[in-house]
Amino acid sequence: MAEQAASLRFIDATERSLTRLRAIHPLAPWIIALLALAALPWVLANTYHVFLANFICIMILLSVGLNIVKGFCGQVTVGHVGLYAIGAYTAAVMSVNFGTPFWVSLPIAVMATLLAGVVVGIPSFRLEGAYLALVTLGLGESVRIFISATEYLGATNGFSGIPAPRIGDFRFDTYQKYYYLVMPVMLFGVFFSFQILRSRLGRAFMAVREDPVAAAAAGVNVRKHKMVAFLISAGYAGFAGALYAHMIPGYLNPRNFTVIEMVTLLLMVVLGGLGHIWGGIIGAIIVTIVYDITKDYYHYSLLLFGSVIVLTVLFMPKGIGGIIDRFIATRRFIAVRERQAARSGSGSGSGDAA
Amino acid sequence: MLLRTEKLSKHFGGLRAVDGIDFELETGEVRGLIGPNGSGKSTFFNLVSGIYRPDEGSRVWIDEHETTGFEPHLIAALGVARTFQLLRVFSEMTVLENLLVGHHNHVSYGTIASMLGTRGVRAEEKRVREQMMELLAFIGLADFADMLASELSVGQRRLLALGRAMAMRPRLLLLDEPAAGLSPVNVDNLLRIILGLKERYGLTVVIVEHILRVVMDTCQKVTVLDHGQKIAEGSPDEVKNDHAVIEAYLGREMEDDEVRRALEG
Repeated sequence: MAEQAASLRFIDATERSLTRLRAIHPLAPWIIALLALAALPWVLANTYHVFLANFICIMILLSVGLNIVKGFCGQVTVGHVGLYAIGAYTAAVMSVNFGTPFWVSLPIAVMATLLAGVVVGIPSFRLEGAYLALVTLGLGESVRIFISATEYLGATNGFSGIPAPRIGDFRFDTYQKYYYLVMPVMLFGVFFSFQILRSRLGRAFMAVREDPVAAAAAGVNVRKHKMVAFLISAGYAGFAGALYAHMIPGYLNPRNFTVIEMVTLLLMVVLGGLGHIWGGIIGAIIVTIVYDITKDYYHYSLLLFGSVIVLTVLFMPKGIGGIIDRFIATRRFIAVRERQAARSGSGSGSGDAA
Repeated sequence: MLLRTEKLSKHFGGLRAVDGIDFELETGEVRGLIGPNGSGKSTFFNLVSGIYRPDEGSRVWIDEHETTGFEPHLIAALGVARTFQLLRVFSEMTVLENLLVGHHNHVSYGTIASMLGTRGVRAEEKRVREQMMELLAFIGLADFADMLASELSVGQRRLLALGRAMAMRPRLLLLDEPAAGLSPVNVDNLLRIILGLKERYGLTVVIVEHILRVVMDTCQKVTVLDHGQKIAEGSPDEVKNDHAVIEAYLGREMEDDEVRRALEG
């Protein structure tokens, strides 16, 4: 009991300080996060860890996007890696074969994934659950197979020589420098997702997930919102792909976009918390780090990831984010009880009724 | 005339769930819609609210707009709100969020603004949240605003479903068995809330009910369905004594006053 009280105090304190920060300026918490994250490369031991930080940022973009369509809008899509590949290869082709600077390749890559997002989104009008999963899995895999079979894209040899982005003479050509490109984009992506999910749009997504019929009866255009969710998540995949392509060593290979990557991405969202605002972020950080620690046992990783997905779904269906929410919900429940007890005048607001 | 249907029909395979119903509803009315199990009451609601597509030849008007074959969100936008027999509250969303979804079409910022989270969005969010908290207070769920709908009791969920419909600021409210599964005390409580809402917002209401007492006490006029067809329409007293109605409900064998006692519960 004492332990729980301490955690409740912690939640209270966190909430209070966040409220106080927001009162100063709504963006204050974000600026603090930006400054704290900007200091990260100075703290990390070596370049490899900085590389990992870069990679985590890209994975956060991907899994936050996936969580919007899968966790919030409830559309079971498994082909997200395909969109990521389209973003990466479009940016690469633009930068190498057409010589456009990164700042032009990036929006073109995002537009390409948005178009692909429409293609993935249309089946969701008619299909649900496992059927939609199968269709999207097929679309995602066919992207990889198409790349593997196309000489123009380097086929199985991969696509190399993608230049580092530059502003004037400044080139983002080390992991330290690249971090200051990818981290702000990631933070902006997270900020953007928070805005969406806490607005009318995010609530409509959740309503579509919970019950499309009731959502429609409440005035929500179900098809439009499914499509918007697919487009937003495709946009995230486009950013992630373009950033991944231009990170040193500037090399892409279809092997980086296989079913294993799909499962990893799925694990991030499921473990972090499907439909939890922090789900994609928590998941991307944990899974990328665990994946890295265990990479010597690479051949067993799918087995490990598969079992973790099954165990998570069985024993904590809402992931780590859900466990955190549980804590907060308990606190709120106790607060309601105490308020009611105070009102009825009994005064004995014992909080262990559950 | 707020709602009018002409030869409204819907068949599922060989079953005529709703079979050529002509229905007219004046603004400000509280209408009861009764009938035995499987008589087409819920199907009628699903047709009017656009969840089912009516058969060829059917026509529906809401307030002089013909809405035959409209999608449900467009009908909702015309001011038609409904509840469901099985409630269909959004269980993994908070109580307040449930109401906010109901208010969806009255939140004035668009999709793009949602993404950007502008100052206008924040002001509007604050405003609609306050409004919805007022509505929650009116239906008596204000204390539970931040709880998940799945954590509510059945009675509270019923109130929430009603609240979500009211959050749509409707002109026409369709209630599908609002009192099912409630104890008599709770039924009275719910009726008081429904009539309170009607007075306060100038609603027109259609109540589908099984508990006849509910309809008999609240409605000026009652429509009776059986096998998808309208078999009677009139004041509660007329309907109660109508032979077709008595047969539909209880078969032929019972004596008239026995029937009356059964209907009055």
